[in-house]
Amino acid sequence: MEYVSPEGLRLDGRRPMEMRQIRAEIGTVARADGSAVFEMGNTKVIAAVYGPREVQNRSQQISDQALVRCEYSMANFSTGDRRRKPKGDRRSTEISLVIRQTMEACILTHLMPRSQIDIFVQVLQADGGTRSACINAATLALADAGIPMRDIVTSCSAGYLNSTPLLDLNYIEDSAGGPDVTVGILPKLDKVTLLQMDAKLPLDIFENVMGLATEGCKAVANYIREVLLENTKQLEYRRGL
Amino acid sequence: MRGLQLPLNQTQRIRLQRALEKLHSLSSKANSDASVTVADTIPVNYDDAFLKGHGTTDLNGELVATVCGVVERVNKLVYVRALRAKYKPEVGDIVVGRVVEVAQKRWRLEINFSQDAVLMLSSMNMPDGIQRRRTALDELNMRSIFEENDVVCAEVRNFHHDGSLQLQARSQKYGKLEKGQLLVVDPFLVKKSKQHFHYLEQFGIDLILGRNGFIWVGEHVEARDGMIVDQANNSEQSTVEKDQAYTPLEMRQNICRIANAVRVLSTLGFNVDADLIIETAELSSSLNIDIHDMLGSEFHVLVAEREAERRSLMTKRKR
Amino acid sequence: MDSKLANTWRLTVNEKNFIKTALLSEIRIDGRKPFEFRNIIINFGSEDGLAEVQLGQTRVMGIVTAKLVQPYQDRPNEGILTIYTEFSPMADLSFETGRPGESAVELGRIVDRGLRESRAVDTESLCIVSGKLVWGIRIDLHILDNGGNLVDAANIAALAALMTFRRPECSLGGEDGQEVIIHPPEMMEPLPLIVHHLPIAITFGFFIDESIVVIDPTHNEEAVMAGRMIAIVNANGDICAIQKAGGEGVSQSVIIQCLQLAITMAAGITKQIKEAVEAYNSERALQKIKREPSCGGNNIKESQNQSIDNKGIEVAGQYMERLKLVSRESCISQSNDDEVDSKLSALRRGTDGNGINFTRGPLSWDPYSKGVDPEFLKASLASQGLSTRNKKQGSSGEEKPGEAEGEEPYRDANPKSSAVDASETEMQTKGQKTLKDAVKPKNKRKKKGSSMI
Repeated sequence: MEYVSPEGLRLDGRRPMEMRQIRAEIGTVARADGSAVFEMGNTKVIAAVYGPREVQNRSQQISDQALVRCEYSMANFSTGDRRRKPKGDRRSTEISLVIRQTMEACILTHLMPRSQIDIFVQVLQADGGTRSACINAATLALADAGIPMRDIVTSCSAGYLNSTPLLDLNYIEDSAGGPDVTVGILPKLDKVTLLQMDAKLPLDIFENVMGLATEGCKAVANYIREVLLENTKQLEYRRGL
Repeated sequence: MRGLQLPLNQTQRIRLQRALEKLHSLSSKANSDASVTVADTIPVNYDDAFLKGHGTTDLNGELVATVCGVVERVNKLVYVRALRAKYKPEVGDIVVGRVVEVAQKRWRLEINFSQDAVLMLSSMNMPDGIQRRRTALDELNMRSIFEENDVVCAEVRNFHHDGSLQLQARSQKYGKLEKGQLLVVDPFLVKKSKQHFHYLEQFGIDLILGRNGFIWVGEHVEARDGMIVDQANNSEQSTVEKDQAYTPLEMRQNICRIANAVRVLSTLGFNVDADLIIETAELSSSLNIDIHDMLGSEFHVLVAEREAERRSLMTKRKR
Repeated sequence: MDSKLANTWRLTVNEKNFIKTALLSEIRIDGRKPFEFRNIIINFGSEDGLAEVQLGQTRVMGIVTAKLVQPYQDRPNEGILTIYTEFSPMADLSFETGRPGESAVELGRIVDRGLRESRAVDTESLCIVSGKLVWGIRIDLHILDNGGNLVDAANIAALAALMTFRRPECSLGGEDGQEVIIHPPEMMEPLPLIVHHLPIAITFGFFIDESIVVIDPTHNEEAVMAGRMIAIVNANGDICAIQKAGGEGVSQSVIIQCLQLAITMAAGITKQIKEAVEAYNSERALQKIKREPSCGGNNIKESQNQSIDNKGIEVAGQYMERLKLVSRESCISQSNDDEVDSKLSALRRGTDGNGINFTRGPLSWDPYSKGVDPEFLKASLASQGLSTRNKKQGSSGEEKPGEAEGEEPYRDANPKSSAVDASETEMQTKGQKTLKDAVKPKNKRKKKGSSMI
């Protein structure tokens, strides 16, 4: 199947180096301390952060830092066929672990000892790149909750089909069986914190694809920063003096 | 947005937009320039000695913000005031909390902080008012003073070694709060002022603005003087009275009106202070708006416009 | 989270600081250099598809079994490969029984990604009837001892087990050509799986100071490290999978360097695995050839054996405990005639009807596991008689796998001892034959000889 036409257009009309349209919204879950909705094309994800608050399970309390918990689930209606088990299956467990460790690396946990931060991420619409969208949404939600972080984490995926590196795969391109590289970076520090890849790639091509994904991450980071700044300014002027 | 989830028709939308834009233009430019997000570099003159305060961290020699907020500079201290963060306690703050646990010789209160606050039995006045050592009997009777889910007003005494707060409720104005409503707003909307206890005479209502974002609106309770000799008789009488006391309808309506005023202000993101609350409540009663209509879109828009006017007046006055 | 926390609890602050400071001068607490792998020892089990890997103190066992299943709807022409992990508290107190924890799930998925997505195992050759019946290969990974870096060890165990696994040959037949006939191993030699390349997992540990990177962290180093990256590469220079799930951020250049290093190391490990598998295969072939002329065939008893052998195929490669039970049960359940024949056939291909291989290794009742004096054995066999023989064979069968799993690395077993073993079991079979059907086997023998060669 041809994923990149000879003119260089992908199945949805994008160029190989073009990302899907991103949209972010902060404060969607009123009860949560911080929340955000993040959309990448047709992929839509909602994240809610509760914390820092008292640890519910005393035995898990850490005396010198905050406990970070994360739960990833896909809504039953998020994919084409109704999912029978939204959470608890192995893929969800692995992604929960990945998101938790990624966010833990950037939260300054030692500033909030003996407390607990809960991150809940749910996929409302899945069209490829759910992992990246979840991390971006979690970052926004954490910033909204006012939790001190070392740097924001942004994430983007890239692939390699028909001998072309493609940025931000959608579901059809993802299920083509080609390589799928998901990268999460700390933009200010320019460090890679999340890196996942599957299917085979020679090293030099992998370098290209990873570089492309990193560029995508930086674009997302710019957008997220804009959204956060706008939100901060709005809160400030409303509050007045 | 976390605030306005109300259906607005076209005109209301436009009016609200205009009011907000006005507010925007009135806000000080300096403030909006000083807004930062996570990992933004804070412009500092590195040659001068400066102190790194809250919300900042050192990254490769640069001063970088760790939260989204506004940069404040006080003399040599540079810090970032986070907006939507949890409550940042200071010693001497008045807070309103909810009891979550009755533990050994202490109560644990939920205040809007990363850990639960502790109110020791010894920091609490005994019901009979006598200053004495707390005995084992007192410990067993803790539940007669506060139970789970009671609302308590207290003051921050100091910080524990592990970072949690220790409260004290020694004075008569602190203690259990009854006959009223507890409201939760964002902590950054409640500013530190001289007075946190407000007695609204025209409504006969006590208004307590806890610095942690918990606000109490309730029927006015006379602060009892703890030094009266026949204290035992008094306390008996008052408990009997309390059981039988009935809050008249008008009082309840007043409580609801004030509470709704607080809700509207917090939804719109405006500062919550006593004057503003009273103004809002009076606005609603002067326009003969029903209490439940106060939470409707029309009233929100009205309040927004009113606030815009008020602030423009203030800035004009300043100039 | 649980295992990470448990690790940190076990180390004191002093130990952690010591490890960190030592790493600054490129010294590791077990004396290795930062980019040195621990010693890898690969043992194979008594039957095909069982491998145990030791990586320093870490021990992981991999078992491969096959079953006929329905394929996935979106991939009707491909077989199914599933990986299950078993983290028992025996390996590490922080592991909990019951549901796999986060780290167990992660390990399973990493190994799965390395094998399946990179098409290391050819799944299309596992298809029997498109859309209806395919082979489902199940890999069970048991963690026996956690000495750090479970992923690498588990991956090697999975690969070794896959390479030595043999699945039964099957063909379509019956009236409508849709019926699947599974040929028992003694009829047609079971086939190995087609493995295109070997994806090797290499784990890197990152510490707070970015310049420190170590390969193959031990348990203690894992408690101290701030982040880790698992790179699955093959000897051809392809990267099959990468897993860096958060943790300390590292720059891109460091990542590329690590990947290059991984590719160079993968070549060495691939060679080691291939050598081990070669040694196992050659020994297996040796066993087979020795068995050829001495044992009789069982063409007549084919159908009955088939049912037993089908069960055997499913049972083949299960855990030791279950093997014991099954062998006991089946020993008892088989009829006298059948059991001897099945035992004969089993001996011929080196395993009994239930997949127990008791031709390997010395008899367990001998405290010196070097070999048995054939004369002594003959005498003892003759004295014991038929009824106890099965039990003895059953019990020796149970214990032999245990022995095979024991200290001695299997590929070190010299041909001499195996020759002794072969001869002693030949004695056993000859012993049986002299007492039982002396005439019938001759016919079978001739037919068998022609079909096998």
